Amino acid sequence: MRAVILSIALLACGAARAEDMPIFDAHLHYSHDAWERVPPKAFIDILKKAGIRRAMVSSSNNEGTRMLQDEAPDVIVPELRPYRSRGELGTWARDPTVIPFLEDLLAKRKYVAIGEFHIYGADADLPNMRRIVELAKQHRLFLHSHSDSAAVERHFQQDPTARVLWAHSGFERPESVRAMLRKYPGLWCDLAFLTSHATNGKVNAGWREAFLEFPDRFLVGTDSFTPERLHYIAEHARWSREWLADLPREVAEKIGYRNGERLFGGPPR
Amino acid sequence: MRRAALLAALLVAAAPVAGQAPLDWTPDEIRAVASHGPWPPPVAVDRSNRVSGNPAAILLGQHLFEEPRLSASRQVACGDCHQAGRDWRDGRARGFGLVELDRRTPSLWNVGWQHWFGWDGASDSLWMQSIRPILDPREMGGSTRGVAKLLREDRQLACGYERAFGTAPGADDERLLVDAGKALAAFQQTLVTPRTSFDDFRDALVAGDTIAASRYPIQAQRGLKLFIGANCASCHFGSLFTNGEFGDTGVPFFARDGEVDSGRLGGIARLRASPFNRLGQHSDDATDASATRTRHVERQHRNFGEFRVPGLRQVGRTGPYMHDGSLATLDDVAQHYSEVSPDRLHSDGVPLVRALGLSGEERVDLVSFLRSLDSDTPKLLPPAPLCP
Repeated sequence: MRAVILSIALLACGAARAEDMPIFDAHLHYSHDAWERVPPKAFIDILKKAGIRRAMVSSSNNEGTRMLQDEAPDVIVPELRPYRSRGELGTWARDPTVIPFLEDLLAKRKYVAIGEFHIYGADADLPNMRRIVELAKQHRLFLHSHSDSAAVERHFQQDPTARVLWAHSGFERPESVRAMLRKYPGLWCDLAFLTSHATNGKVNAGWREAFLEFPDRFLVGTDSFTPERLHYIAEHARWSREWLADLPREVAEKIGYRNGERLFGGPPR
Repeated sequence: MRRAALLAALLVAAAPVAGQAPLDWTPDEIRAVASHGPWPPPVAVDRSNRVSGNPAAILLGQHLFEEPRLSASRQVACGDCHQAGRDWRDGRARGFGLVELDRRTPSLWNVGWQHWFGWDGASDSLWMQSIRPILDPREMGGSTRGVAKLLREDRQLACGYERAFGTAPGADDERLLVDAGKALAAFQQTLVTPRTSFDDFRDALVAGDTIAASRYPIQAQRGLKLFIGANCASCHFGSLFTNGEFGDTGVPFFARDGEVDSGRLGGIARLRASPFNRLGQHSDDATDASATRTRHVERQHRNFGEFRVPGLRQVGRTGPYMHDGSLATLDDVAQHYSEVSPDRLHSDGVPLVRALGLSGEERVDLVSFLRSLDSDTPKLLPPAPLCP
């Protein structure tokens, strides 16, 4: 009887911990169209209320990231985006002004990654993309790449030591993601904007196998690509905790926040 | 001279749009046009509603539709927002029940063929949707008990109920509320738009009748070609010009500062939580087949800020547009899709919505086509007495 009570108590404890688990959100944007609607302080309040301990943020034109970092340097993990406005996602790869823009900002501030940028297939061999791979290597930065497998392959062909955070896990099927993770030890995956891995709080079979095989290689993320989506961060964190609770505790913690903090830095101690 | 003039006049009368041949239409285009008909489709029947199509229930529904005593204030009826003389909407950017709402009042034309209801699809049947505003404190603020009491105590309504449902109103309040919703739904299923000049063109094109097809204005034909070429039919599909599902069209969805209208995401949560969905005890579908969509609907991150794709029949007469009435005219809508910012759309595969880059002339053509989906509708006569 005591054993039953103890196990119930442990279960209750475990459930509470799952609900309170900190989150490292690896995929947030705070772009030019968001600042007026949600000022930096309000953004940080949203993160804190959602239990987001650290958040990797990029913004078109990077000014939003700077404002957030100034507001909460212990929360914001800054990445450098090659866009002045989000609308450049289809043109940046051939725009000769992008590289000087990046080099100027790299000379002024510290970042942990370059991204999120959008690149597909053979376009990953264009000079702008090649130069970004070089800059990442030179400054020891991650590449946060919204791309297909073909573009990721090209990143690693250009720099076999590159470290790539694959945005949205490339919207690939879990078997393909696993194959890429086996092939490239320098590849990590964010799960932003994906729902295929979990249904009603349960992790779906193919993805479960991926998470259990590579517990150190996945991170969660919201993807706040419009100002409205800043108001989705808390709901996304709640939803993430729900399906993470369906995984072994250690795996859940790694995907929920430990991987992010290991790769990009944890909160100040 | 007079004979020549007379002959010319006769020729003009014989070929209504003299000198105007229809544009060239490829077999693929003809197939695309054909997919938007025929009109009208077979009568809509809802298996979850045992009085769907029942004339006595339709009559009761029409009475209830204009019945302000369903509301808490006894002053607001369904028909105050969905006005018969205004294409079953109110013409406001945002609806107004007891207070101003966050969304536009949609027209009820052809609503019987939908499978999700409301801008967020929080209802999976027309009867469920008909209950929602009665109970919503912002709209009619009524109550289950109040509706049941009215059906039991008003002699005419009680008689109408008995004729529609075969028994006198019973003691189960919730059942009476649901039955009121089912009668309202039966009535709304009868709101069908007449045929339009587009339908005549579509049928003529399919039949290869060039003379009949030539009666459709060239400007509308050009607009129709744009509509097909821009793949608008991926969402505005079939004879209703809607796939009945939900989309993010790049329209901002802040309801007010600091508050967002979550659209379909919130709709799915409300659908699942409601005792009135098709999976609940109030559905009359013994086979349960009509609940398949409800059983399998899954929330996705993209649902945040998605709103139901409206049908386009009668669209020229049912502005303003979008879920929040933020676009005043059809030209504004054409301009929105012409210039929609990629800033607001997620790049996941091939986007369904993209900036069309239409010229001013093309926008006029597109609007001309959309207006060809309008038709004059017969005036709805006052309902016959329930129990004369």
